[in-house]
Amino acid sequence: MNRHIKAVVCFGLPLLVAFLPLTLFPIESFTLVQQRVLAIFLMAALCWVLEPIPIFATSVLIIVLQLLTISNGGFFLFTQSDSGNLGELLSYQSIMSSFASPIIMLFLGGFFLAMAATKYRLDINLARVMLKPFGEKPSRVMLGLMVITAVFSMFMSNTATTAMMLSILAPVLAVFSKNDMGRVAMALCIPIAANIGGIGTPIGTPPNAIALKYLVGDDAISFGSWMAFGVPFVIILLAFAWLLLCKLYPSSEQSIKLEIKGKFLKTTQAYIVYVTFAATILLWLMGKTHGMNSYVVAMIPVAVFTITKIITKDDLKKISWDVLWLVSGGIAMGAAMGETGLAENIIASIPFENFSPLSIIFGASVLCLLMANFMSHTATANLLLPIVATLGMSMDSLIPYGGAQGIILVVTFAASLGMSLPISTPPNALAHATGFTSTNQMARTGVIIGSVGLLLSYVLVFLLIQVGFIATI
Amino acid sequence: MNKLTVICVDDQRDVLEAVARDLQPLESYIDIEQCESAFECEELMDDLDSQGRAIAVVISDHIMPERTGVELLTRIKKDGRFEYTRKLLLTGLATHQDTIRAINQAAIDNYFEKPWVAEVLIEQVKTLLTDFVLNSGMDYEDLMPILDQSKLYRYLK
Repeated sequence: MNRHIKAVVCFGLPLLVAFLPLTLFPIESFTLVQQRVLAIFLMAALCWVLEPIPIFATSVLIIVLQLLTISNGGFFLFTQSDSGNLGELLSYQSIMSSFASPIIMLFLGGFFLAMAATKYRLDINLARVMLKPFGEKPSRVMLGLMVITAVFSMFMSNTATTAMMLSILAPVLAVFSKNDMGRVAMALCIPIAANIGGIGTPIGTPPNAIALKYLVGDDAISFGSWMAFGVPFVIILLAFAWLLLCKLYPSSEQSIKLEIKGKFLKTTQAYIVYVTFAATILLWLMGKTHGMNSYVVAMIPVAVFTITKIITKDDLKKISWDVLWLVSGGIAMGAAMGETGLAENIIASIPFENFSPLSIIFGASVLCLLMANFMSHTATANLLLPIVATLGMSMDSLIPYGGAQGIILVVTFAASLGMSLPISTPPNALAHATGFTSTNQMARTGVIIGSVGLLLSYVLVFLLIQVGFIATI
Repeated sequence: MNKLTVICVDDQRDVLEAVARDLQPLESYIDIEQCESAFECEELMDDLDSQGRAIAVVISDHIMPERTGVELLTRIKKDGRFEYTRKLLLTGLATHQDTIRAINQAAIDNYFEKPWVAEVLIEQVKTLLTDFVLNSGMDYEDLMPILDQSKLYRYLK
């Protein structure tokens, strides 16, 4: 689509929505503030899908527009109204605080851990050690690569993990014979494992962290309990993906040898990195015993690494602020929809009661999976989760099927399972750029693994209900 | 302070000593290591690296038994651990072809012909050290006296 048309659609339609008379909307007790939030939401959705501006810029725009139009510190024309249907303005402090919400801090802590691990080569050295027991048979080596990639992507960004693993793999793939299908499997296994691995922990991928934002109160899930069901899910889906790749693209090589040079660093600073890394993860897992929640724990590595100069001021500049801001915008969007009552109002005016709860769970998760294949996983979660969460809270008929927790988990997992196209995720794009796999081959495995993963997530929620983890009363 | 490391590789002892002598003015900021072969150099780099030392510059001769300087520098270039290490070829006997490979494959940062002028070499090494420090994101405050000031200003600007 032409750039100008895109811009007109993305900003024109929301403007129209913002200035239509209130009475035209079939929503009860609709206020001006809610109307503006609806317009901002529409703009966010269009901008995240069509990308006329960078996706993190859309997030920033959401926050700034909210400050201007629906905050108590906004532009005077927007904060005064004689008609009495203005609705309640939000405090500007609460909107701005989405830049530093606990979810963002959790991710920042994760970034610090990953950065220190990479800088002191803990990641590559661990990869070297972990790869050894898998031998040299191609299918085994592939399993090893997938396990390592999945484990790393639980704590590092999926993209960084993929880049590291592909740099190990690329020299080996180059010497494979041209028509050996094994090359395809090898190139595909890395992004697949990275995408799946991200599901394993709350910090594995941004959609998980966004889900935590909506899993509050009675629905809260701790770091440890997330891993308790996330990791088994990752293991099963990873095993399936491995079998699938071995079956579809068997290798004709007898043995392959991956060479990773280097030794574990033995400096004081390196030891600090090792200990802090292990301690942070341990504290995350044992949340119940020491009382510190995962957000508080995430701040520990930030302090340790800066005072020991492990992360210098130059390193600080390399943090992916765009990812943090992308999530911030989503948080602000969700908060505004919740606090102004817009989400509830919309859901109340759509007769969801007429649908069966199962079809709603199915519909929401399939929609999420579809969207995640074509746009950013984080943006997908940003858009869908506020609505899904409100739906889960307000619909009593969902309770036997897992209530808010159940539907949020299924939709969150679906966001990570969108991986059938090079544009679906940065790891896919990297693997595609190696030239060893075609879009067709990627789509074939991506669609199969995505659908199986989605089914598996239904099974997971079913089992969580059976063991009583998700309450159904 | 974390000292920077400069490694000199040459199969002739007197050349190694001459280079080390020329670089002496920088000694309070850098450690100068001497290797008599490419293999010795790679082993040393492996060790130094696992001790967390910053290998900033490798100065290598080209004609050496077993592995040539260009081969050594090419291997260093391909090694992810030494991404920021700067490479200087110091030789009298490289052919036209060697020189082409040194630039295209080893991506050397500098080429010196024997005999060299001490002042020019030391200035050049300072520039390479600056590149290393700025690219690798090290703290440069302590190293200010030996850095190429104009380069530093451009970076900070």
